[in-house]
Amino acid sequence: MPVTLDQNEALCLIRLEGDIDIASAIELKKLLIEALASGKEMRVDLERVIELDLTALQLFWAAEREARGKGTGFRLAGRVPEVIAVALGDAGFEKFPIPMDTK
Amino acid sequence: MSVPSKGNAIDKFKQAFQEEAREILVDLESALLELNENRGDKELVGRAFRALHTIKGSGAMFGFDELAAFTHNLESAFDEVRSGRLTVTSELVDLSLAALDQIKAMLEEDAGRAVANSNASNEILVKLRHFTGKPEAHPTEAPPSPALAPSPASTGVARGWKIHFGPGPDLMRNGTNPLLLLRELKQMGSLRITASMAAVPPIGELDPERCYLGWDMVLTTSAPCEAIRDVFIFVEDCCELAIEPDSLQVSAPVTEAPKVPEEKRTTYGRRAYDNPDNVSSIRVPAAKLDQFVNLVGELVTVQARLGEIATRREDPDVVAVSEEIERLTSALRENSMSIRMLPIRATFERFRRLIHDLARDLHKVVELTIEGADTELDKTVIDQLNDPLMHLIRNSMDHGIESPEGRLAAGKPPTATIHLSARHSGASVLIGVTDDGSGIDAEAVRARAMEKGLVAGDAQLTEAEIFSFILAPGFSTARQVTDVSGRGVGMDVVRRSVEALRGTIDIASKPGTGTSVNLRLPLTMAIIDGLLVRIGHAYFVLPLATSLGCIELTRQDVEKANGKHVAEVQGEIIPYIRLRDYFNIHTERPEREQIMVAETEEGRFGFVVDQVLGDHQTVIKNLGRFYQHIQVISGATILGNGSVALILDPHRLVQDAIRTMSLGPHVDLRASGLRPHGLAA
Repeated sequence: MPVTLDQNEALCLIRLEGDIDIASAIELKKLLIEALASGKEMRVDLERVIELDLTALQLFWAAEREARGKGTGFRLAGRVPEVIAVALGDAGFEKFPIPMDTK
Repeated sequence: MSVPSKGNAIDKFKQAFQEEAREILVDLESALLELNENRGDKELVGRAFRALHTIKGSGAMFGFDELAAFTHNLESAFDEVRSGRLTVTSELVDLSLAALDQIKAMLEEDAGRAVANSNASNEILVKLRHFTGKPEAHPTEAPPSPALAPSPASTGVARGWKIHFGPGPDLMRNGTNPLLLLRELKQMGSLRITASMAAVPPIGELDPERCYLGWDMVLTTSAPCEAIRDVFIFVEDCCELAIEPDSLQVSAPVTEAPKVPEEKRTTYGRRAYDNPDNVSSIRVPAAKLDQFVNLVGELVTVQARLGEIATRREDPDVVAVSEEIERLTSALRENSMSIRMLPIRATFERFRRLIHDLARDLHKVVELTIEGADTELDKTVIDQLNDPLMHLIRNSMDHGIESPEGRLAAGKPPTATIHLSARHSGASVLIGVTDDGSGIDAEAVRARAMEKGLVAGDAQLTEAEIFSFILAPGFSTARQVTDVSGRGVGMDVVRRSVEALRGTIDIASKPGTGTSVNLRLPLTMAIIDGLLVRIGHAYFVLPLATSLGCIELTRQDVEKANGKHVAEVQGEIIPYIRLRDYFNIHTERPEREQIMVAETEEGRFGFVVDQVLGDHQTVIKNLGRFYQHIQVISGATILGNGSVALILDPHRLVQDAIRTMSLGPHVDLRASGLRPHGLAA
């Protein structure tokens, strides 16, 4: 299962694994909307992602904007793997659409 | 929570690529063949180059690395042709055609259908290098992906290009990853890139499979504008693309500048998702279509049952609904049949290559002319037409058409012609293969038929009858068996295929002027409009398309004709076949019978039945192998009350009757074991 959602009382954690591309885009959107609807603080874990494509980047970008509008926190749960950082550069993104969890 | 398996998605894209590539290869083939005729045509060279580039690019994207590498070499050769460094010769065309076959084999290899021969690819590559004069140490180690391909025709001076790239809505859904294109650009030089997120909608409205991003880039490279454009060549139709020189970054005098604004306009104009063509057709697997038509067939049968019940119940409400459903099924049926209709063009065009290759092997000069390529036929008919046409063309090429010297000696132009034609005629379609070769020697055929014991020495035969021997299995007058034909197998294949399609073959030939073979095939194999008739307790269906009308035949009319089977219909005397006698149905003959008048190849004929019941949407069911030899019956259909009616073939009925020169009893349905519902035992 490359896309999973774990919830506890305060937090929604979206965990991604393997190749996150157009094949998983519909599922990822569903989970993001579910997490946004919960109104809880959101975290996304990318550490085990091998490849991330543009469909995922634009979903994160839209979800982050939505979360910010609602005042919900949406942050990265860990570091961004090297391959994603390279892909971000190639795609002309200055930084990952979701800020790092600095706490 | 899981997502659909990724492997499936990739297989689907691979399949889509294979399908697309097959289509591109067909286009490439016709471009190459046309190029052989007009060697200076730049447009054709460009068409071939683009086809190759697309196959290479998409191939590499979907993991057909070997295919991409191989195609790359051919593409390079065409790049040389495009830039005028290499001229088109017939050797180059032949080599390209061989390479094309190799690409085809590689394409199918992945689908597990054929095995591409790597020796053959190497051989082609060696020859190609001989043409381009580019020694390459390892022919198969050519760049596996377009990203690594050397940019064609580098100008040597680095300059800046402003590129705007906006993927169309379906770009990613079609299996293209824009990121790969951006990476390919990055390989060409130094790239500054900014993504624009302005078009990304709120997440609730976001279509996750669509790309909303756009990019503005500045690329500094020594490659020319065309090379940049070539990166986008296979997504060009579904994206927004503008390339212009960057005024801030020009590091060399701009010599091409005046040309560029025009370039920009045309690319903006080419946003194919604004173009209705893009959405006006979709690709559907043939199996789904067959299933659809089968379901419509079942629906038609059920509707007939409903109609029957409604009539019996005499309930006006039920009758009204039943009639409405009948109208809808009828429209649905026509619609579903029209979906299956395809123009015969692709089938005809395919033979251009066969004729080109055979003409080369046989040292003949042959031109193909095509007429009525837009004639539409049912897909199942088209699928089965390929083999018989191929054999007919091979026969013409080998036996019919003379060598250029022979033609000149006979006072004909050295270039021979093979003419393929198609046209509609009632419920049939006529396919013709005509050549202007030496024709068939009727006497030789007759002599050979006697030799084989097919005919008695003193038999009086018409020319058409003599020519029909050609269709017999193992019949050949060829003195020599060649690679192309002469074994007497081909025409037998033609006969079998055409019979399987319930068609007929007509051969005409004049010694010295040529041969013409005409195939008459039914338009469709699934559902037809029929006229339901009754004889005794048996039901039959006559195809409506051939029916002209029906009149009454009274005892007095019969007596007036003095025992001859003729009747006067609208001032015209027409012969008739009494189906009751023909099928040996021994029930009491009614006082008034009815004559169905039908148009056949032999002229107008009447078929006498007890009663004409009315229109019937007829779903054709095959009778199966056991009854295949009964040619006057083209199938069966299930009636509303669940009983079976046999579908008659008027052409065959008349031909059969003429052949025996008696319009009396002929086929004994009981003897053949075939018994329509209610047929008296």
